[in-house]
Parts: sequence; C-alpha cells; structure tokens
Amino acid sequence: MYSFFRIISFAFQDMVRNIGLSCMTVFILILMLLSMNTLLFIRLVTTEATATVRDQIDVTVFLSDEATGDEVDEVYTYISSLPEVTQAVFKSSDEVLADFRELYKQNADILSSLDELNENPLGATIIIKTTSPADYATIIEQLSVPEYDTIVESKTFTDAQGAIEKIDAITTSIEKFSVALTAFFGIIAFLIIFNTVRVAIYTQRVEISIKKLVGATNWFVRGPYICESLFFSILSTFIAVVIVYFTIGLLDPYIGVVLGNNTFLTNYYISHILSLAGVQFGIVFFLTLVSSMLAMRRYLRV
Amino acid sequence: MIQLQGITKQYTKDSFGLQEVDLFIEAGEFVSVVGQSGTGKTTLIKLLIAEEKPTRGDIHIGGWDVTKIKDRDIPLFRRQIGVIFQDFKLLSKKTVRENVAFALQVAGEPYKRIRDIVPKVLDIVGLGHKMDRYPHQLSGGEQQRVVIARSLVHRPKIIVADEPTGNLDSINTQEIMEILKKINAFGTTIVLVTHNRDVVNQLRKRVVVLQEGKIISDEKHGKYHLSAT
Repeated sequence: MYSFFRIISFAFQDMVRNIGLSCMTVFILILMLLSMNTLLFIRLVTTEATATVRDQIDVTVFLSDEATGDEVDEVYTYISSLPEVTQAVFKSSDEVLADFRELYKQNADILSSLDELNENPLGATIIIKTTSPADYATIIEQLSVPEYDTIVESKTFTDAQGAIEKIDAITTSIEKFSVALTAFFGIIAFLIIFNTVRVAIYTQRVEISIKKLVGATNWFVRGPYICESLFFSILSTFIAVVIVYFTIGLLDPYIGVVLGNNTFLTNYYISHILSLAGVQFGIVFFLTLVSSMLAMRRYLRV
Repeated sequence: MIQLQGITKQYTKDSFGLQEVDLFIEAGEFVSVVGQSGTGKTTLIKLLIAEEKPTRGDIHIGGWDVTKIKDRDIPLFRRQIGVIFQDFKLLSKKTVRENVAFALQVAGEPYKRIRDIVPKVLDIVGLGHKMDRYPHQLSGGEQQRVVIARSLVHRPKIIVADEPTGNLDSINTQEIMEILKKINAFGTTIVLVTHNRDVVNQLRKRVVVLQEGKIISDEKHGKYHLSAT
C-alpha cells in the first residue's frame, strides 16, 4: 500500500519538476485529439448534409381527380403495405390546393388564374419516402400496373433519380476519403505520441537506471509513468473537449445554413459527450501507455 | 561473505572481462581491488551487483546465489548491498533527503521509519544541514557523501564502492575514506575498486590486483602495485 501511494506521489512530483516536458506532452496530445475531432465532425457534417438532401427527395404520386374514394384508399393501403416504404402521406385535392396557394401566395397572376377556374384542378397526391433511394425505382415499378393506370395520373421520381445517384456517388467518395484520412491521422497520431513519450523517457533514462540500481522493481519504476500517462490523458481529453465545445458553438451558425439547424453540432456533441470523451481518453491513454512501456523497456534492463 | 568460484565473463570470442577468478571475502573485511583500465574491475562490480551474469562460475553473496538469481529477485538482492559509484548516480530531480529516502521507499519502508532514519544517516555523513538541496547545489565531495548515505540507509552487510574518490580532490578523498573506514569498523564488508595509490597505501588492508581479467596478487595487508609480487 505504501508503494501505491508513493508511486502516485512520485508521478506528481515528476510532472511538476519536469513541467516543461509535461506541458509539451499534454500539448501534443491535445493537438492529436483536436485532429481526431476535426475528422469526426467533417464526417458528421457530410453525412448529415447528404441525409438532408436525401430526405428532401421523395416520390410523389399524383392521383387522377376522377378516382373514387375507394380506389384512392386501395392505392394508399397498397403503397403503405410495401416493405420499402417508411412513410406515405396522403393529401386530398383540397389540401393540395391549399399547399399550392401557400407556395404561390406572392404570385398574384397564378392565384388569379386559379380563381378564374371555378373548380379545383388539382388531384389528390400520395408522398412516399423509402428506406433507401434505390427503392424508389421499385415503388414506381410496382405502381406501373394496368389496374392503377386510371387512378395514378403521374409519378415524379424520374426527376430525382439523377440527384439520388449523384448523392450516392458523393457519399461513397466521402466515406472512402474519411476512412483513408482516419487511417492517415491514426498513424500520424501514433508516431507523434510514441516519439513524444520516447523523448520524455529518454531524458529520464539515467534516472530509471539509478532507480533500478538502488533496488527498485520494474513496476516501482514504471508506476509513476503509468500514472503520468493516465493524468496526461485525462487532462488532454478534458482540455480538448472544452476547446471543441466552444469551437463548434462558433461553427454551428455557419453549418446551420446548410443543415437548417443552428445547434446541430452542439446538440450532437452534448448528447454524445460521454462516449466521445471516453473513446478519446481510451485512445490517448492506450497510445501513451504502450509508447512509454516500449520506450522504457530497454532502460529497465539494468 | 562474498565468494567467487571460477568466474569467467566473456563478451566476444576474444574479449574477456574476467577469466577463472576465485575470490573469497569474509564478512567485515575491507578489500581494495586495483588494476589498470580494462583489467576487469568494472566487470567485477557489475557481477557483484547482478547487473551482469558471468559466462561461467558461481557467485555467492550473503546467502544469495547471484549466478542463478531470478530477474524478479534482483531488486530485493540490491537492497541488501550498498553501492557507491564514481559518477554518484544521484536522482537529479530529487533533493538530498529524497535521494536517500528513495532507497528505503523502494523497499516499502513505512513513512515514519523513513522520516526518522534519513536525517540521522545524513548527519553521520555531515550533510544534515543540506537535506533540502538538490544534487547540483552540492560539491563533488558532498554528492559522494549523499551516495554513501543512500548506500548506508538500509544497513547493508556489504558496500561495493566503484572508484568513489575518482572525481574528488585530495581533501574530499580523505573525508570519504574516513567515512568508509568508520562504516567498516561497524562490521560492514567493503569492496573498494580504485586507481588511487595513496588511498590503498594508507588503508593497509587487503589488496587484490587484477590484470587482464585475472587475479595476479592477493595480499592481506598489501600496497598498491600493478604487477605480481
């Protein structure tokens, strides 16, 4: 028990007496964590942006104004029962007209032309969303049967197909790029941490051998370095979390223009703070621990 | 008691640190080991503190079979031997008090015992008033006295001193030797490796001469000479 408390006490003593080296190590760890966070948020924003665009794409089925209520119900029920469909919203011809008027409320010419007609020229519609954009073609195919020829007037999927294909291509490229960037950053981070810790251990190699010569066990020598790794990891993770929190607060209004949500990053960060901080702490602690163990190994052979 | 039987330390095919060395040192003896550079003195020290293992032969020190000692037992073994180095080997970021206390801390000694013993040992070597200084704030002689205090603090039966006066002037050398003689007078075995002719001649104790890794002379009350008599 004495040894345990002494190891902790030596760790803090070493950190304070090697304050320059301690600060440099923490600084490097913070830089690495900020790089990791940058990567995470680039990925998050691109994923959200593509999801937003995907969400704006749907299949709109325009129903004939001659279709009876039963026929409309039958088509709606059939569409809703398809496994690919996640949402099917029925809008009556009156609702469609109201939406149309709302959309063109600034355009007096269109509204007056509409008023000239004494009846509602617009039919009911069903707006469909699917689990994947690739399912839109299946839905269209399943609605293109002779029984529905007189009920379904038109379908607007064709216009969106090009956009969906482009988004798919962009998303795939971004994901590939992100994986490559993550791997690249991972290697750089490991090398930086490994060399920082190695330099720190190298400067203390004489001290390590002296400790061994006066009868310290390997664990008594290693112990303070493990405690220092733990403390550096906690401190650097905490500082990185604070910096990232304030930075995303500054970035959110700009990203909100694209995503339509002015607190997207902040909300995400707060709701995932424990897992994000935990993973970052785990990575930094693992890297510093492995690096110090590897770097120290040769100096312990006394 | 230190016993070396048929000790050979071979580094490469043609390079030997020691060759077929037999040496028996009784408890309480003061033995000076002399010899030119490269004759195996440092190798002998490294073998005595289990920093290296011999290629052949057996070493027994105070009940330990050092030849067969396991890595995990080396720290325990070293806590029973006091070692004094020419280059002091003090922990530069620790104060005088902390350097001496460290030898007890690694052995898991209680806080109270450490608080009691360390000032007493530092008083013995005349550094009771400089306990809170760092090594770089001390002279060479004072640093060597800290090393002696550190080696004494766990009351070892054996002290191995590797050129303890090598970096000191004549006055400091005299002081260090007086301290070592006092320690020996209390029954501690001392193995002194040195180049210092005056030190060895003044001691009038046992002198072992090494040449090319072999013992060429071993006299009970010898003087410094580098060839067989």
